Amino acid sequence: MRIRHVSTIIATALLAFSFSPLAIAADAVDVGYLDQAELANLPQFVSANRELAGYKAQLDSQFASEMKGAATDADKQRIQLDFQQRLSDKQREVVGPLFTRAQLAVQQVSAAHNLSIVVDKRVVIYGGIDITKDVESLFLSSQAINPPVASPPPADIGFVDQTVLDSLPKVKAANDEMAQFAATQKQIFAPQMAAAGKDAAKQQQIYAQFQKTVNDKENELLKPLVDATKTATADVAKKKNLILVIDRADVLSGGMDITTDVQSELSK
Amino acid sequence: MATLFAAAVLPGCGPDVHSSSVRGVGYVRLDEVVKHHPLYPQLAQLDDAIAAINLAASGPHVPLSAGQMQAQIKELNANLAAAQERANKIIAEKETRYAKLEAAAVAAALSAAGVSGAGQYAATQTSAESAQQAQAAAQAANQDFMSYQQSVIAQDNAAAAGIARQLQTQAAQKFRAKEEELQQNETDLSLRLTQQDATQRLAIKTRLSNLALDDATRSQLTQQLADLNAKEEKAISSQRNADQATLSAYQAQLNKETSAAIAAQTGSIGAQTRAKIEERHDEVSQQIRSLGPAPLPANLPPGVQAKIAAIHKRYQAQFQADAQGTVADYQATKADLDKQFEALHGADVGATGAAAKELDALQKRRADLYKQIGDQIKSETNRIAKDQGFTTVFVDITAAAGGYDMTNELIKDVESLHE
Repeated sequence: MRIRHVSTIIATALLAFSFSPLAIAADAVDVGYLDQAELANLPQFVSANRELAGYKAQLDSQFASEMKGAATDADKQRIQLDFQQRLSDKQREVVGPLFTRAQLAVQQVSAAHNLSIVVDKRVVIYGGIDITKDVESLFLSSQAINPPVASPPPADIGFVDQTVLDSLPKVKAANDEMAQFAATQKQIFAPQMAAAGKDAAKQQQIYAQFQKTVNDKENELLKPLVDATKTATADVAKKKNLILVIDRADVLSGGMDITTDVQSELSK
Repeated sequence: MATLFAAAVLPGCGPDVHSSSVRGVGYVRLDEVVKHHPLYPQLAQLDDAIAAINLAASGPHVPLSAGQMQAQIKELNANLAAAQERANKIIAEKETRYAKLEAAAVAAALSAAGVSGAGQYAATQTSAESAQQAQAAAQAANQDFMSYQQSVIAQDNAAAAGIARQLQTQAAQKFRAKEEELQQNETDLSLRLTQQDATQRLAIKTRLSNLALDDATRSQLTQQLADLNAKEEKAISSQRNADQATLSAYQAQLNKETSAAIAAQTGSIGAQTRAKIEERHDEVSQQIRSLGPAPLPANLPPGVQAKIAAIHKRYQAQFQADAQGTVADYQATKADLDKQFEALHGADVGATGAAAKELDALQKRRADLYKQIGDQIKSETNRIAKDQGFTTVFVDITAAAGGYDMTNELIKDVESLHE
């Protein structure tokens, strides 16, 4: 009789619990991570990066001399774009194939572990599944790697492309204004720092003043935008039943991209 | 059973880790936790010191006099030459060491293969002698290239210094001309004022020379004369102040124009120099590539030849890996000296020389300290997350719609490290 009573309580409690908004849900156990720094140390990447660095050093000296010869701001911009393009082309040529193979290896291993998202190791401080060794083995094997047939399971973690949000007109205008302000302040404070010579106390005082000026401006110009973006992102995430949102730069595979929704929310 | 049920369902003091909004996921606002770590004041101090060096280095550079520039260029050239010599010496030592090791390995391989009497010969021919000859030739080519590079850079610097001197002389001449022009204006004004007041002054003086003048009138006339002098002096002084301001502004404008002109001219000289150096570099690289090891004796069996080739390849790779560090050190020193050359010519290149070294040391200390703080926070996070049954804990998130924010708990934890 007593046992039956307890069972009834349990049954009622569990029933009530399952309808409450705080119902027990399945824990997110399908988060994988990869140590990209370790992957970058593989000989193939080291040698490709060395080649790229050599090319960049060569470009840098050409860039510097062409910039010195530039007569107008338009010329400078054209030169800058041209060199950026040349570097990206080389990057695509040298690192591109390796990057594609690594990306496919991540997707394959992720599918094998039924992971909904794979992120960079840097953003996971506890738990998650480390797939670095599996990805390395597959990457180094001689076999061809095909994209997985099935798409990843639905994710609890979303991501936004910060570079896209930064290019929104009002955000870009604020960032540009901030950069301009910081550059001007540097022009004002740097000579004072140089004049302070080895007087550490004086230097510290000047630097603190510079820092405060820049921070105040940041709070005035950027903080409202950062807060608004955070709120909009959290609102969209809630609607999509996501737990957290991270930056796209930290996502290697899977996850739910909510950048467009956040963009729309911010444009309201 | 009731206890089990309570443990499983009641949230108790900890968070409801398995609720639908948390789903086993936690997150930490790492920056906030770091700020409460006992070592944070040291970290902040390092950050400030790094930022202060960067700030001091980002300022506009005041153009140096030709003499100062010459002295600094001489010092930089000496530093570059010393770095080149040091790197060459270390690389030559490594080359010799690896050549000896390779020779010994080849001799051992030949002897193991039973090539009679060929051990010494083969080792000498394939490794020691021919490799040393090739190395000597490569070293000579490198030395030749470096001397060429040094002489071209020295020419560039001499030409740049000459141009700087010439432009600074021109600027000084312009300034002197302006100074003289303003001085002349001042003299003209003084003359004009004197002429303007001459009649009045003469009349006052004539009246003052009359001995029969009463005291009141004499005093009045003396005052009139003093007023005239004061008026002239005021006009001249006001003109002088205006001229001084004009001169200061002119000096600033000349400095700016001179710096820009020096940067433009030296930039173009630098581009020509780089082109010349690159051309010679290509020639030397071609020359060095053609210096392969001496051919192996024809009578060696193919298996032994392959073995010797593999040994050569292995030691070559080892030597290259070993030399890489020396080359990287030299490149870093050269890059810093290049930046100092550019800074001398008015370019904004950030911290250089001693400041760059200090910056580097501070950044290393900062990275070590941050790692120490980060490791401690990670270990505390692991303990709490494990105790409370989280599956995953994130840091550096963009936004949270759910999950459990462990930041405050961790702050309390790291703060207790103070005690």
